Amino acid sequence: MTSLLESIGYGQWILHLLVLLPLLGVVPLLLGAERNAKWVALVVTTAEFLLSAGLWWVVTPQQTGMQLISDTPWIASWGISYRVGIDGISLVMVLLTTVLMPLSVLASWHYITTKERAFYALMLTLLTGLVGVFIALDLFLFYVFFEVVLIPMYFIIGIWGGANRLYAAIKFFIYTLVGSLLMLVAIVVLVWKIQSATGELSFSYQHVLDNLGALGNTAPWLFTAFALAFAIKVPIFPFHTWLPDAHVEAPTAGSVLLAGIMLKIGTYGFLRFAVPFFPQVAMSTEVSAIMVTLALIGIIYGALVAMVQPDIKKLVAYSSVSHLGFVMLGIWAGTMQSVQGALMIMISHGFSTGALFLLVGMLYERRHTRLIEDYGGIARVVPVFSLILTVVALSSIGLPGLNGFIGEFLVLLGSFTAYPWATGIATTGVIFAAAYLLWALQRLIFNRLDNPENEHLSDLSGRELAVLVPLVIGIVWLGLYPAPVLQRMEPATRRYLEAVRPRSAPPENLRVGAGPVAEVRP
Amino acid sequence: MTQLDLSSPLGITLALLPEILLTTWAIIVLLVVSWRHETVEDSRVAGWLSFAGVLVSGAGLAALWVNQVVPDGLAQMVALDPFRYAASAIALLSAGATILLSLGYLEREHLLAPEYYPLVLLATAGMMFLAGAEDFIVLFLGLEVMSVAVYVLAGYNRANAFSAEAALKYFLIGAFASGFLLYGIALTYGATGTTNLSIAGAQLAGRPLPLMAALGLGLLLIGFGFKVAAVPFHMWAPDVYDGSPTPVTGFMATGVKAAAFAALVRVLLETFPSADRIWQPIIAGLAIASMVVGNLIALAQRSLKRMLAYSSIAHAGYLLVAVWPASRTGAGAVLAYLLAYSLTTLASFGFLSALGRGGEREVTYDDIAGLAATRPWIAAGLSVCMLSLLGFPGTFGFIGKWYIMTAVIAEGQVILPVILVLTSVISAGYYLPVIMAMYMRPAAAPARFDKVRLAPAAAGALALSIAAIVVFGFWPGGLLDLAGRSAQTLTQTGMPVAGR
Repeated sequence: MTSLLESIGYGQWILHLLVLLPLLGVVPLLLGAERNAKWVALVVTTAEFLLSAGLWWVVTPQQTGMQLISDTPWIASWGISYRVGIDGISLVMVLLTTVLMPLSVLASWHYITTKERAFYALMLTLLTGLVGVFIALDLFLFYVFFEVVLIPMYFIIGIWGGANRLYAAIKFFIYTLVGSLLMLVAIVVLVWKIQSATGELSFSYQHVLDNLGALGNTAPWLFTAFALAFAIKVPIFPFHTWLPDAHVEAPTAGSVLLAGIMLKIGTYGFLRFAVPFFPQVAMSTEVSAIMVTLALIGIIYGALVAMVQPDIKKLVAYSSVSHLGFVMLGIWAGTMQSVQGALMIMISHGFSTGALFLLVGMLYERRHTRLIEDYGGIARVVPVFSLILTVVALSSIGLPGLNGFIGEFLVLLGSFTAYPWATGIATTGVIFAAAYLLWALQRLIFNRLDNPENEHLSDLSGRELAVLVPLVIGIVWLGLYPAPVLQRMEPATRRYLEAVRPRSAPPENLRVGAGPVAEVRP
Repeated sequence: MTQLDLSSPLGITLALLPEILLTTWAIIVLLVVSWRHETVEDSRVAGWLSFAGVLVSGAGLAALWVNQVVPDGLAQMVALDPFRYAASAIALLSAGATILLSLGYLEREHLLAPEYYPLVLLATAGMMFLAGAEDFIVLFLGLEVMSVAVYVLAGYNRANAFSAEAALKYFLIGAFASGFLLYGIALTYGATGTTNLSIAGAQLAGRPLPLMAALGLGLLLIGFGFKVAAVPFHMWAPDVYDGSPTPVTGFMATGVKAAAFAALVRVLLETFPSADRIWQPIIAGLAIASMVVGNLIALAQRSLKRMLAYSSIAHAGYLLVAVWPASRTGAGAVLAYLLAYSLTTLASFGFLSALGRGGEREVTYDDIAGLAATRPWIAAGLSVCMLSLLGFPGTFGFIGKWYIMTAVIAEGQVILPVILVLTSVISAGYYLPVIMAMYMRPAAAPARFDKVRLAPAAAGALALSIAAIVVFGFWPGGLLDLAGRSAQTLTQTGMPVAGR
């Protein structure tokens, strides 16, 4: 496979093509007829997925550091260039994006009935932005992609969203903007500081990483700005209040992409930029204490609030706050297992929460209500739906053998050495997750079938199965055999840990870390 | 590099080529319209003729710029440097766009007095004198030529009481501001014994600023504060912008502001570079006040025109941030941001003028609800404008703000950029609802939009502006280099700008 891909020069053009293809796809989509729009979108997103799949073989686990780097001057006099590259962390995020995108298009097939051309054009633009965010190696370029993804999502929520969509859309936009604009100032200051020290004006990621010594006492401020931008995006408690609104009001595809990918831009930002740029600040005792505390509050608070939601979509939305709390804990514990686990949760949360939103959307299309109390006992009416919902919910809870378990287990294992107490508290989050999801499951599909309106629900159609089955396969595959994914992320994680941990620190963390990949193998 | 002897009649004529061409052309158009000033046809002829005048003057400007004309020795009366050319180009751009946008507007509003167009040309000539002045007297003359023409334009809709109010307010406040400016000039002259900007700067260098010059500086800043509508000298702006015919509002918000900023930068960097410790805090204060007050009050507006008026106060604040560094990078940022802001603001007022009737005072957010369904191109264009004013990546407005931040941070100042971005977030609170209204809310009465139509000339101008906003948003390289290079030549006397 690798040699086949090499023979067509795959590595040279693939990253550019992944960014360009969706944008090129917008042209025939807008020129074509309204009813063809979804077909064009499906073809383009599927092609994008098939093309990106080759990266799995090209991004080799043996090689550390960024691969397929390409550098084209953009605004030369300001040291800005179109600089992209990919490593194990980027790889999994890009693949997650390209997997979820065609599924989201399929899920919108009958859900989106107005202004279809505009909707699918925005979806494709969003795809470009998302892929760009994960492969950008220039701070300016990253910032542009980081902001550009806002616009399509803003429109998707605002035009095709629920009753309260205007409020949700502007709240989502402004929250993100506050953080990102402060990050913009921080980026300019960062680069200026480094320019004053080295004499070279460059927004290159590597250039910044190589000259962090120039930052001096501005580092805490810069870290605060970066961390705020990403904390809002994740979102970390107390910056999470935009999330329930946006996720609930967005159409199904919007919720899937928001939860599945856009939240991960925040955690990715921490892993790629905020922590490696300012390791002394980020990993200092005070900052660690704050971040771990906020992560714990997120885990527990998200789970407790999810438990009392009458609206199933809101329940899923709050469960994201809880899951992302685990990711943050894993990042700040800073061991091989915990960071690998955090990455693993990022992936599996994309699968399971994406699937949950899809299932909720399918239910909503049938009954036009999302209140849990309107359902009950529908397992007898829609057995296939109920089966898949159960599998997905169990994966979200973290049942061993399904994908959710791997990440949470690794995070808890890896964090225990660093923060035993915090890990203990976080473990209760897993129990709460079981509580709210199983309870919701019970009220939705089990219990008595007492609402006559539910008696004639239709089970999943072929198209809906086509959306869900790939996700279920992913859930089971990642749960049973995560080793190939962990292997591909390992060099990038190791590099991250080397950047983050001071040189003088005992290498035990790394030593211990080499193991769990093997341990988790079934 | 061509040298011009400014003391010879030929030299000074060539140095003023764009201004002379424009003024002559304005007089010719004035003669033409004195015979033909009755029908719609006449108005159209005057309009296109004036547009040709802008192009001719632009050609003269290009001749100076391309040949890199510099003065033989010290510049007397007018500057001969790319900073002047760039500022003049922005003024001409603003005039050209205003004329194209006015063609359909004047017909629709039955403002059929074609003297409108020569007035635009004369105002533009004034702007170019103002932006290129190397002497306080020329500066004042330019200011007055510009202002008098714009007073008349503001009140051009005689039938409309608000237009008359706008003209009167603008005239009174303008006279007041001119008084401050003139007094400041007099005191500066008193302290230095010269009206030449650079020579005065040389006189003031290397010693503490004399009290008389300090007073002069303060009065000059007040005068300019009025002209650029910076808080707390902004009180006139909302009513004047609101009451004037919409294309004139666009012209005032861009051309007048651009010329005043160019002159302000030149005075501060050529005459008072040694006093930057005195004027930098004042500029910073004005900038912060303008950004905060402008954005907060704009948030409370329901009428789009008034919202844009207050937002232009906020943008004056952003521009003042770019003036603050007292550096040539800052001057370059002023030029780049002026171009970005001018393009976007002209286009915004252009779209607005298509949306309403009778001065557009009454076009509110609710009135444009659902516009995207019936007028997708206008909605898309206006959305790009709003995003550019907000400073969103992918638009020219973002590049402008980025340049400003770079210039200020290069001086080690972080507070101003932080306030700039935070107030930009506030501005999202009133720019985004425009997009939301057009795209996300249902139309109250879709038939309302049947009358929304752009004249071909206006549509062409707007399409070009939008294209420029997007293209420069992605490929600003060449333009930024040009702005940077233009600003490099600002001080010609060999007076170092405080070592920066």
